Amino acid sequence: MINLENVSFKWQKNAAIPTLVIKQLIINNGEHVFLHGPSGSGKSTLLALLAGINITTSGQLCVLNQDLNALTNAQRDAFRADHIGIIFQNFNLLPYLTPLENVCLGCQFSKKRQQHVFSQANDLVSEAARLLNALGLESHLHNQNVATLSIGQQQRVAAARAFIGSPELIIADEPTSALDTQNRESFIKLLFEQAKKNNSTLVFVSHDETLKPLFSRTIDLVNLQGDV
Amino acid sequence: MILFKLAYKSLLNRRASVLLTLLTIAISVMLLLSIERVRVDAKSSFSNTISGTDLIVGARTGDIQLLLSSVFRIGHTNNGVSWQSYQYITKQRGVKWSIPISLGDSHKGQAVLGTTLDYFKHYRFAKKQPLAFEQGLAFASINEVVIGSEVAKKLAYKIGDEIVISHGMGNTSFHHHDDNPFKVVGILKPTGTPVDKTLHVPLAAIELIHGGADNAHDDHHDHSNHALVGHPQQITAFLMGFDSPLYTLQVRRNINQYKKEPLLAIMPTVTLKELWEMLAIVEKILLLFSFVVVIISLLGMLTTLLANLNQRRRELAILRSVGARPWQLFSLISMESLLTTFLGCLVGCILFYALMGTTAGYLQSQAGVSINISVLSDYELTLIGVIMAAGFVIGLIPATRAYFYSLSDGMSIKI
Repeated sequence: MINLENVSFKWQKNAAIPTLVIKQLIINNGEHVFLHGPSGSGKSTLLALLAGINITTSGQLCVLNQDLNALTNAQRDAFRADHIGIIFQNFNLLPYLTPLENVCLGCQFSKKRQQHVFSQANDLVSEAARLLNALGLESHLHNQNVATLSIGQQQRVAAARAFIGSPELIIADEPTSALDTQNRESFIKLLFEQAKKNNSTLVFVSHDETLKPLFSRTIDLVNLQGDV
Repeated sequence: MILFKLAYKSLLNRRASVLLTLLTIAISVMLLLSIERVRVDAKSSFSNTISGTDLIVGARTGDIQLLLSSVFRIGHTNNGVSWQSYQYITKQRGVKWSIPISLGDSHKGQAVLGTTLDYFKHYRFAKKQPLAFEQGLAFASINEVVIGSEVAKKLAYKIGDEIVISHGMGNTSFHHHDDNPFKVVGILKPTGTPVDKTLHVPLAAIELIHGGADNAHDDHHDHSNHALVGHPQQITAFLMGFDSPLYTLQVRRNINQYKKEPLLAIMPTVTLKELWEMLAIVEKILLLFSFVVVIISLLGMLTTLLANLNQRRRELAILRSVGARPWQLFSLISMESLLTTFLGCLVGCILFYALMGTTAGYLQSQAGVSINISVLSDYELTLIGVIMAAGFVIGLIPATRAYFYSLSDGMSIKI
């Protein structure tokens, strides 16, 4: 699924020390991985690399057996739209769209994900509604203004947006930091449920180590870089 | 399609600032169109003042001065044309009709014009339209007067009213002819020309007021039984129509070389054009101002767009994370500016028609400019097209910034 080898990354071309150095990282298909590390350990940098926003300075990075370095910028954008769903920390919804429209947005820039939706449901909106219900957002909230939703509800919308069209890889970037412990756990369980259903690989990034026991596999970014 | 929807929803979300931008564009479009329309219509009203007249003949002076005094009642000539010369010239070959006019008197600040019945028969304005009566008919007796629509409205005169004509121009004339009141027998339909502001009396009556002041006045006899007989020694000018343009040129040359009296013949269409060219600078300044207003409003839009863009970086980053390409964000932003400009132009056109609809009457009565409330002309559409194109080009600036933001920000904003 994900395969990193001898990857290093520098934000500036002539920076003396690379921001991120990873000798090897392999994440298998369907794994739910907890990636943690303190602030500044390179979590966001790694995510930007996995999502194909930035490319490695050296080394090889494959996602879904595709070497991202070999793609052009436009191809990487298309690749991300087709195969990766992203959940952000918070406030990650477009305020002028309803929850349903926000969810639909997840596959509106990708033909492949739309086709995937149509293979399971009649139209985007009903699939979006199904996902929102599955993630615990009641129907009466689906067409409400996003800004009136609570943080927890907004996270569910964001999660549904990442899952729509069943992308192979879900990247969650500290999605629970704004939630209390109880909500955090139930939200993560919902994430697992959906990921299993869609057979998606989940990379969950957080600095909160109390979540560690919930995951089958844990990767400490500091240790990972220390391997060099 | 999704981009269009996003642009629309995003605009709706920021409606307060978008509305203001839209309004500035709308007002500037309205201003530009109004100035343009008034300019064009003023020009056509101006050249519509007189039509169908081939030559205007008066005492030798400047072309424009003769035109101004004889047609626009502005300024006056010191000399006139003797009745003998008038008779001689109008008997030339090819002369179809002639209208003698005598100016120099006034009634409460409105010009009084002495003429013959030929005036109502042959005088043409705009697109060769003849004069028509709103009420009553032409004068049949020496102490009758036909008034223009504006005179009737302004002084609230109606058929049967008796008025007094004073000698000389202006309100404060020395000499009021109280003993020779004129009776209103006809009111002309509005023409949008100086005819509306004129009182028409028989030429013979002018003779009584001016030239014949020594004899006719002292007699104190009643003029009411007089028919339209008699003529003055002099008239101010006369208008002529010819059978063929060839005669026009020939007679014009003859008049300008006429030995017995220094006369001048002008072709009104040519002189009108010369006069308009003199006024062209005012016209150009007006146009320049309206263009500056448009530019300012477009710059206003640019400012708003750029200011908004910084607040929208998160929005762009979110779109990027769901797979929007940088060029799609570029088109999103430029589409928004195009949409704003388009709506601004649309509202501007509506405002323009509203403004023209409400002020047309006022312009007609105050400035004599008849506004044509018709569909947008090709030229006006071109102007709107230019504004839209400029709005689009200006929108490319924030769009380009959005493009580069979305590349450097990636999915999360790093400032």
